[in-house]
Amino acid sequence: MMDQIKRNIRAPGRTPWQREAVGFVLGLAVLALMPFVFADSYSRHILIMAFIYAIVASNWDLSLGYGGVFNFGHLALFGIGVYAYALLTKLAGLDPWLALAASGVVATLAAVLVTIPILRLKGIYIILVTFGFAQLVMQVIISQSEITGGTQGIVRIPGLYLFDHNMVRDGKIGYFGIALALLAASTIFLRVLVRSRTGASIVALRDNEEYAISRGVSLVRQRLITLAASAFFTGVAGAFYAAYQRNASIDVFGMSLATIVLSMVLLGGTGTIYGAIIASFVLTIFAEAMADFGAWRPMITAVLIIVVMLVYPSGLVGMLRAAWAGLTGRLKRPA
Amino acid sequence: MGALAEILFGGLFQGSLYAMMAVGLALVWTTIGVFNFSHGVFMMLGAYLAWQLVETGLHPAAAFPLAVLATAAVGWLLQAAVVRPLIGRANLVLVVVITTLAAGSLIENGVLTIWGPRSKQLPPLVDGNTMIGSIGVSLHQIAIIVVTPLILGALWMFLTRTRLGLALRAVAQNEDASQLVGLNVTALYGLAFAIAAALACLAGIFMGGYRFMSPVMGADPLLKALIVVVFGGISSISGPIFAAYLIGFFEAACSYYFGLYWTPALLFAVLILTLMVRPEGIFSSRGRGLA
Repeated sequence: MMDQIKRNIRAPGRTPWQREAVGFVLGLAVLALMPFVFADSYSRHILIMAFIYAIVASNWDLSLGYGGVFNFGHLALFGIGVYAYALLTKLAGLDPWLALAASGVVATLAAVLVTIPILRLKGIYIILVTFGFAQLVMQVIISQSEITGGTQGIVRIPGLYLFDHNMVRDGKIGYFGIALALLAASTIFLRVLVRSRTGASIVALRDNEEYAISRGVSLVRQRLITLAASAFFTGVAGAFYAAYQRNASIDVFGMSLATIVLSMVLLGGTGTIYGAIIASFVLTIFAEAMADFGAWRPMITAVLIIVVMLVYPSGLVGMLRAAWAGLTGRLKRPA
Repeated sequence: MGALAEILFGGLFQGSLYAMMAVGLALVWTTIGVFNFSHGVFMMLGAYLAWQLVETGLHPAAAFPLAVLATAAVGWLLQAAVVRPLIGRANLVLVVVITTLAAGSLIENGVLTIWGPRSKQLPPLVDGNTMIGSIGVSLHQIAIIVVTPLILGALWMFLTRTRLGLALRAVAQNEDASQLVGLNVTALYGLAFAIAAALACLAGIFMGGYRFMSPVMGADPLLKALIVVVFGGISSISGPIFAAYLIGFFEAACSYYFGLYWTPALLFAVLILTLMVRPEGIFSSRGRGLA
């Protein structure tokens, strides 16, 4: 009887933290072993890109899935990270590692700035303002071409070094390690946040704004926290991307990148964090597997997104959950 | 005097294009309550269909209306494929954003595969150039300035004077009640999308007549249309029309006095300020309604 009640209490999203920690460490271990399986630098490049996407998508899931705030400027925060790193290292001559952290702070400040106009807004209006914010950032970067390189972008951005070791050597193992560490740190941060009381109040605001406010949850404060928290690792990921690619271009503000990352969030299933990460891996590897299809690739991806959205609205995690429930249910029934 | 004429003409011209695009977006939003992010792609597709018809030897007078009808059909189909099945979902607005974006990407890449990346151009509505005061303008631009209000006026008449138009407005105001009195709500959803696509196609034909066409030509007009509907209020038809011309004049004045580079930044700054003060837009109320 008690067992039954307990199981009900920890319905979705209420896995005991010990069990989640074990799963997390196992997943991390599998990813950490990847470089031993894939020794060539191209496979590792794909994995590094998947990790970057996973950070951006899972942080977007915090504001979109948990907060219910349709921040369409999320990729702009990533772009701000890219340009902050580029300008801090190239123009200000800051140490690349410091610039990596500073870019996260800059993105967080930008997120606070964009949150102010949307505090009073709901739904579609938030989409429009944040979308406008992203375009504004892009236009400012284009128009200030003497600093930002305009549409040409910035090249020869300093990469990351540890003492004298260039991270790109030995099949990019250094960059792989940093990307994985960033993904791990970002995921721990996000999961701890959404499991905390703050996380609960963010979800409460999403599900029933009036009731949450009447129970003393501050909309202004929680919305600021939500967007600022979703911005830090997004900005760091942007900075890392700039350090890794060693160039910055305004393509990061384009619709196509935003569409891809948004589809990662939605394909994975919103409000899970892990879903966005899994979907990032799946889509990145899928896109790679279809490299031979050339112009057909974006079309196949588009059809895939539409089909999953139509057939499986709760995304890949919903699919996995249903499969898992079916499996365990079948195993238990004979007893 | 030259400055004023230039700003007035530029504003009227840009405003006409923006109005054509924005009205379609607003029409879909008011009737279905979703935002169609493939609207810019409709515009591009319409222009390419028109180009193809002209290329096969049709006279523009026949090719353009045919292209408009074909684009309207595509709009209807798209609605049936990626919008209608989702109606009733809790996060409808968000899911439709992603499905229409994906559908747009599908069409965009399809156009790229079929017609290739090389720029194309449509014949202008009216050939020739003329002088207004001291500025030289093409008759094509003047035709757009004259034709757009006529088309928007016709749309207005349709929405306020015909049974079908009234039905569309009824759905926009109250879906459940419309269903109760026997209106075919799903068909009206399709109609809203089809009209929006037709208007986008016209905008594409207008644009293809004075600028080179490319598969991504719809992205910028979509963005401007978004700004217009935010600015004018998304919940009506007249709001976006006024806002379209207002923004047209604003842009023309900005680029005259501050230069082309600063115009978009200024525009967005004004937009964000507007939303902070009046989130529902300057010409509109918060409810949904088509008037």
